Amino acid sequence: MIVPLATGIHHTSYASELALRNTRGEKARLGLGILALGALPFLLDSYWLSVVNAIGIAAIGAIGLNILVGFTGQISLGQGGFLAVGAFTSALLSGRAGVPIPVAIAAAVVVTAIGGVIAGLPALRLKGLYLAIATLGSQEIIEFVIRRWRWLTGGQGFLEAPPLGVLGWHVQRATFERTWYWVILGAAALGAAAARNVFRTALGRSFMAVRDHEVAASTIGVNVTRAKLGAFALSSGYVGLAGALTAHYSGTVSWERFTREVSVLYLGMIIVGGLGSIAGSIYGAAFLLLLPPLLSALADAVRTTAPFLADQLPALQVAAVGLVIMLFLIFEPRGLDRLWRRVRDYFGSWPFRY
Amino acid sequence: MTRTIYLFSAVLLTISACKQSGSSSGAGSEARPAAEGKKPASDDIVLGILADLTGATADVGKPYNEGMLAYLDNLNAQGGIKGRKINALSEDYAYKIPNAEEKYKKYVQAGAVAIQGWGTGDSEALRSKVKGDELPFMSASYAEVLTDPKQSPYNFVVAPTYSDQMRIALDRIAASDPTAQVAVFHHDSPFGMAPVADGEQWIKDRGYKLGYKDYAMKGGATDHVGLLQQAKAQGAKFIVIQNVSSPAATVARDVAAQKLDMKIVCLNWCSDELFVKLAGPAAEGHWMVQPFAPPTAGKPGHESVRTYAKAKGFDLEAKGLHFVQGWYTMHVMARGLEKVAADGKPLTGPNLRTALETMDPVDTGGVIGPVRFSADSHRGATAAGIYKVEGGKMVEVATAVTPQK
Repeated sequence: MIVPLATGIHHTSYASELALRNTRGEKARLGLGILALGALPFLLDSYWLSVVNAIGIAAIGAIGLNILVGFTGQISLGQGGFLAVGAFTSALLSGRAGVPIPVAIAAAVVVTAIGGVIAGLPALRLKGLYLAIATLGSQEIIEFVIRRWRWLTGGQGFLEAPPLGVLGWHVQRATFERTWYWVILGAAALGAAAARNVFRTALGRSFMAVRDHEVAASTIGVNVTRAKLGAFALSSGYVGLAGALTAHYSGTVSWERFTREVSVLYLGMIIVGGLGSIAGSIYGAAFLLLLPPLLSALADAVRTTAPFLADQLPALQVAAVGLVIMLFLIFEPRGLDRLWRRVRDYFGSWPFRY
Repeated sequence: MTRTIYLFSAVLLTISACKQSGSSSGAGSEARPAAEGKKPASDDIVLGILADLTGATADVGKPYNEGMLAYLDNLNAQGGIKGRKINALSEDYAYKIPNAEEKYKKYVQAGAVAIQGWGTGDSEALRSKVKGDELPFMSASYAEVLTDPKQSPYNFVVAPTYSDQMRIALDRIAASDPTAQVAVFHHDSPFGMAPVADGEQWIKDRGYKLGYKDYAMKGGATDHVGLLQQAKAQGAKFIVIQNVSSPAATVARDVAAQKLDMKIVCLNWCSDELFVKLAGPAAEGHWMVQPFAPPTAGKPGHESVRTYAKAKGFDLEAKGLHFVQGWYTMHVMARGLEKVAADGKPLTGPNLRTALETMDPVDTGGVIGPVRFSADSHRGATAAGIYKVEGGKMVEVATAVTPQK
């Protein structure tokens, strides 16, 4: 599955073998990427920066889902529910119990991870479609609870989450998007680096072994139960983080943000981005969340010539997302990540074919 | 395994995409005035409007939005606010909170001085944001929490709150049958929940002997027979509905089909011509609590709207009362803008807020009671009309009814 990136690399030390990036090209791209990310908040207006922030949060959630679906082969339709667990936990702890927000967010990660393990128990006996339905069940149960349990929202139907702040410092309204950009970027970068490294450890490799063949994995000594539940816990931890960030970023938590459609959208993100790829999760989140605002900009631009586009915009936005996913399934099931690798390899040996 | 995942998600996505696009009606945009999407001249006043044209509440959201844009079209044709035209950015957010947030940020970026919102969910979600950005925000959501300037300093509510409407409904029910069982059917959202707890409290405060139980109406349900069975088991004589017209009409038809002896009391968002039209004969005899007079009531305030409609060649009666509601909500906002201009102050959010709080009560010619805000209260009005459906028409039973003191 791993495509040779570059030939002629010989490791002469353990440190060089452990490096994530070996060639000069890779390092240069990383440098460019960091530069671009650093420049972004100064180039974009606050509207587009808010889109980028939404992408950052979604990327964290998508990495979580990819750990479960792409790396461990356990399909989950409970994403929306776990986002809700994270969001409600953090909002309740910080808003009602007065816990400092960073602690509340950390607690949300832990609580969601525990919730994930519970929801993952059926995975020990179920596979494929059956597991999909079981996780859909946990989505429905969580959605039901947050809609009906009035204590959660004090009967208002929604819950307010206090704005992000540490030790008396609060996010200021004027620099709201920019401050959040750095917070989200930090969280997403840490999350991505951690996830990337997990799959170089025994635990991470056991996830992939379970995905590739459960029986074979258990024959060579992988504890399948531990691997599956570990994957559910780790994945849900990420999702809980994304949920908690959503809560404090938007300031209001209500069930409407955590529906089945959200679960499906996240599944779309990792399919478009690339199952079993950390970078792909980020590409997928960016792609699917950029599509609607770009379409809306397009509809605005052609409003006079094609008013139909503007009139039916919300429906078109959803339909476009569906279409894109279908196209990916047909033409590049391994997603944007694979597409990128192919482009890179093509130019790497250009003008020769290999 | 991977194959299964692909297949399964493909199927799911197709389904959800179909569901989404299926809910949008193919209604044309015949009366969409030119106010929308025009490139602003530099001194235009920018207003942001959140509209639901294709979402869960589109049946009433579309005429409301058209009414707002029509008002602005009319105003701009007459020279705008002291010669400054109003450039309205109106986009469909399909009743989805994340969409509303996205549009809101876009409007702020475009330099909007005020926002006309729509639903309870998005008004709540944006409440702390408009406070931070100091942008006056009116909505078609009349939730109680939005009327308190201490909690929501930039939200303005032009009509009696849902809770007040519920109180009026309960007063009416108690007067007609003091020991009746009341079932509250509500939209499954913050909008639906808004008056539920206050209604229960009202019964306690007033010492009514009414029974009271609430039921959430599932979105997209094709019938509500199950809920009606529960209401029947409760012994309900009255069903107060806090939902939009189409699902309420379904309830009315189910009540008729099941031959149940129950009277529906619609609050604001299902008290309209659409309910009567969709429910047909099943609508007969039901009650409505509606703060905005329907065009058929022929109040003096309807004249200006009717003149505009005639000039544009459409029928105001067909557009219905939500068109008028949008028109006059925008009228209140425009009055605030005029006041800022008259005071010679720069047009900023805080100045507009002060103007709305200190301007004279807005007379709407009987369409809705004079709308009055103050620094202590953003509750624009407390009175609503009570109507009864008779012969396929909304017949006025009482006007300017307020909750019992």
